[in-house]
Amino acid sequence: MSLDASTTLAPAADALPKPLPGRDTVIQYGMALLTVVLIAAPLLPVLYQSMLDRALYDSGQQFTLSNFGRLFHTDGFGLVIWNTFVFATLTTLISQTLGTLAAVLFGRTDMPFARLFGELFLWPIYLSALVLSFGWYTIYGPAGYLTLLMQSIFDGAPWNLYSLPGMAMIAGVSQAPVAYIYCMSSASITDPTLEEAARVAGAGTLRTLSRITLPLLLPAIAYSAVLNFTVGLELLAIPLVFGDPAGITVLTTFLYNNGVASARPDHGLVATAAVLMFAVVCVLVWLQGRLLGNTRRFVTLGGKATRPRPFRLNRLRWPLCVFSAIYITATVVMPIGALLLRAFTSLLSPMVPITDVLTFSNFASMLEYPVYPRSIWNSFIVSTLGGAVATAMVGLIAIIVLRSDFRWRAPLHYVALFPRAVPGVVAGIGFFYAFALVPGLGGLRNTIWILVAAFTMHFIPVGLGAVAPMLLQMSPDFDRAARTQGADWWTTSRRIVLPLLRPALVACFIILFITFFKEYTTAIFLFAPGSEVIGTTLLQAWTQGEVGLVSALATVQVMVIGICVTAARAFLGVKLYG
Amino acid sequence: MAELLIENLHKRFGPVKAIEDVNIRVADGEFVTLLGPSGCGKSTTLGAIAGLDQPTSGRIRVGNKTYFDGDKAIFLPPEARNCGLVFQSYALWPHMTVYDNVVFPLKLRRVSTADCKRRVEESLALVEMERFQDRYPHQLSGGQQQRVALARTLVYQPEILLLDEPLSNLDAKLRDRARTWLAELRTRLGLTTIYVTHDQVEALALSDRIVVMNGGRISQIGAPQEIYTRPADSFVADFIGTTNFLNGEVVGAPGGDGQTLVSLSDGQRVLIKSDKRPSLGDKVTFAYRPEQMRLATPNDPAIGGSIIEADVVSHSYVGGRWQVGLNVGGNQIRIETQDATTDRQLRLWLPLTGGILFTERTHGKSH
Ligand SMILES: Nc1ncnc2c1ncn2[C@@H]1O[C@H](COP(=O)(O)OP(=O)(O)OP(=O)(O)O)[C@@H](O)[C@H]1O
Ligand SMILES: [Mg+2]
Repeated sequence: MSLDASTTLAPAADALPKPLPGRDTVIQYGMALLTVVLIAAPLLPVLYQSMLDRALYDSGQQFTLSNFGRLFHTDGFGLVIWNTFVFATLTTLISQTLGTLAAVLFGRTDMPFARLFGELFLWPIYLSALVLSFGWYTIYGPAGYLTLLMQSIFDGAPWNLYSLPGMAMIAGVSQAPVAYIYCMSSASITDPTLEEAARVAGAGTLRTLSRITLPLLLPAIAYSAVLNFTVGLELLAIPLVFGDPAGITVLTTFLYNNGVASARPDHGLVATAAVLMFAVVCVLVWLQGRLLGNTRRFVTLGGKATRPRPFRLNRLRWPLCVFSAIYITATVVMPIGALLLRAFTSLLSPMVPITDVLTFSNFASMLEYPVYPRSIWNSFIVSTLGGAVATAMVGLIAIIVLRSDFRWRAPLHYVALFPRAVPGVVAGIGFFYAFALVPGLGGLRNTIWILVAAFTMHFIPVGLGAVAPMLLQMSPDFDRAARTQGADWWTTSRRIVLPLLRPALVACFIILFITFFKEYTTAIFLFAPGSEVIGTTLLQAWTQGEVGLVSALATVQVMVIGICVTAARAFLGVKLYG
Repeated sequence: MAELLIENLHKRFGPVKAIEDVNIRVADGEFVTLLGPSGCGKSTTLGAIAGLDQPTSGRIRVGNKTYFDGDKAIFLPPEARNCGLVFQSYALWPHMTVYDNVVFPLKLRRVSTADCKRRVEESLALVEMERFQDRYPHQLSGGQQQRVALARTLVYQPEILLLDEPLSNLDAKLRDRARTWLAELRTRLGLTTIYVTHDQVEALALSDRIVVMNGGRISQIGAPQEIYTRPADSFVADFIGTTNFLNGEVVGAPGGDGQTLVSLSDGQRVLIKSDKRPSLGDKVTFAYRPEQMRLATPNDPAIGGSIIEADVVSHSYVGGRWQVGLNVGGNQIRIETQDATTDRQLRLWLPLTGGILFTERTHGKSH
């Protein structure tokens, strides 16, 4: 290679770029402040209210510690705690058993259709527990399709959803995918050579499974167990739909009944119960952190390309396949399918041929009341705009925490992940108090923006989970190159880091869209006439006994989410796990 | 372009001392290479100059601008330094074309659009990449990416040029050509340059001066010939060029003629002339370049050197020559010969002068 002597660089020296002084600092501090305020907004009022002798918006409050004593002397509160504990424990047992079995069976054996079953097995986490409850009701409820069928053949159905085991069954099935995902990611991460070694040494399939594979899965099972136990404590829908009519109260329904549904809410008591729940979940989240270890906090939950060699089932291949098909049909296909079918019929019963009852009247009557179309529209707005706002916020937090020399980035990281420890009901009550307490915010109180704020706060950790892995994988040399060339942090972020991060931001938006679209827990504490979302009108229609309407609304939600998930997976290759 | 001054620079990552007490003065227009094994602190030093990591203590000055002063708590952010850094990974932004990559620093400096276009073209022409303006980085070969990365850095005429192992991702052929080309470019531009490599051939061929680093400290600073012929310690001698080491004990302390008599562990004796003056009974190491040793004929008189017996341990053809591995009293040494040999034992002639004597206790690395 030789150089052309005529090419020379221009001799004039350029002025160094003059970035706006302090712009980086303002953005970083501003964002940190916004995050802290948003996350403290629901928590401080709850703590404050728990120590007041009357509602926090009344005048003349006195500080008191008597609420705690009062709570524990409330009639039946001991039973509430016991029910909550039993429900969460049963849920965890069921979800861990099902999830682990599924991971081994669908992920590690040569069973036919294993992949298809694996896909279907995941479906419950894409949907809200509320919709699943209605699905189960349509099949297994007192007037459910299968229940009636069983009654016509035998004396009665052997199941009862209106009991703690019945509720835990629904919750366990809807949480089993979480255990499944963690087991799958660990099964593909762990070294397949360990299993190979055991087999070479002459260990049979079952022996390898019980002595090598399951012990290797234990960390994943333990971690997701704590996760699912936490979810079991926080779950509102299933106890509300099945527990309340049977007089089984758990902590979430206790909060709902005394805080929202009651005519004269005892705020001191409600806030105190919320604080209690928050404290328990804090401990559980801390435990999750301990089990997971710091390094794996952001591990992507997708399998790796290489898979260990599957176990041979031999004679058991087809029996297990049939068994799995029955399970998937009974817990996923039938509840969702029946719910969709119910939306297009006037009633669903084994005694009546389906062609006699096909109708669009459920959708027609849904459109008659303005509240239902409005709630669908609001859900779209909250999910689209809210999802966009939350994605922007998550993106900024992520680059500040992982890609800047912001002085407080470690504490900010901690704060941003903190909402994991705030149950939806607590966030709902907290935002309700916050907007009642701060005078200037009254105007926002009856709009969907209070929902956007609450959803964003509640799901910042979910968004970070979608963005952080890619940011951690991106070479820091990209930003460093821009910095040495004269770009300040914000220019570097805008021109280099955020554009490179676009796939993760798109994934984050889709995940948040779906999450916001199906969210109901926080919303039922915060909605007002005019700011309903699908989740709240679903519950309203349910309370009025409008099963057809409920099915139609649920169908809209399932369809929208189904389209989003399918499109995102097909076109964008986005991995969507709750 | 300016002079670079680094004084008492330290950098710790928690308990890890990445660099310790580094002092370098680089003159205006000089090309200095940081050379050392992996993990010796080369990139850390470069990062400290560019402002990517804040050092623990010390001072860095370029021209009359203080980049860093630990005592006065001065730390210029990287964007205020006007350094040009070419990364080992090139760090071309994958979402931008070659043109957009190179124009980025000019846009930051608010250069007019017409000037931008001209200067990007000039700078790409300098690295012979002007035909690739519209390509994306992933459509370029490693060598082409490296040249674009260099163009992107040269286009804004940085105060000093910092190159972090820019050739390490190239294959041997391309590396050779790129080296020649870099050498030409460097004489043309005359930029003050710090070049990081762990390849001694690159360092010897390109540099005005070489800084040899070891474990975060500077072992020696000097011109290439000086480093090669007069290494300051056995680490430098070992790292630069191929070196054969012999361990022994002083049995004849140097007299007025500066000649030391050393006994190897098997009792054979070697006479070596050096300006070092060890005392009787000292354990010493001495080193010869392979080209300084030769096989002795059976009746060779030991004139101007010593003759020792060595056992042949290995024997391999390396293209045109034979490489013979020898064992001398437990020391492994290697020489190259024109002809194959079948002998189990060889006689080796070692020169009186030219070998290097180290009085440090033992040489760390085994051969
Ligand atoms: N961020 C960090 N945290 C902890 N230790 C670090 C960090 N960066 C570098 N080190 C340590 O500092 C020492 C010097 O690292 P440096 O990257 O400067 O080596 P190097 O000479 O450039 O090596 P190489 O030739 O492999 O690039 C190494 O021991 C390394 O492990
Ligand atoms: Mg390096």
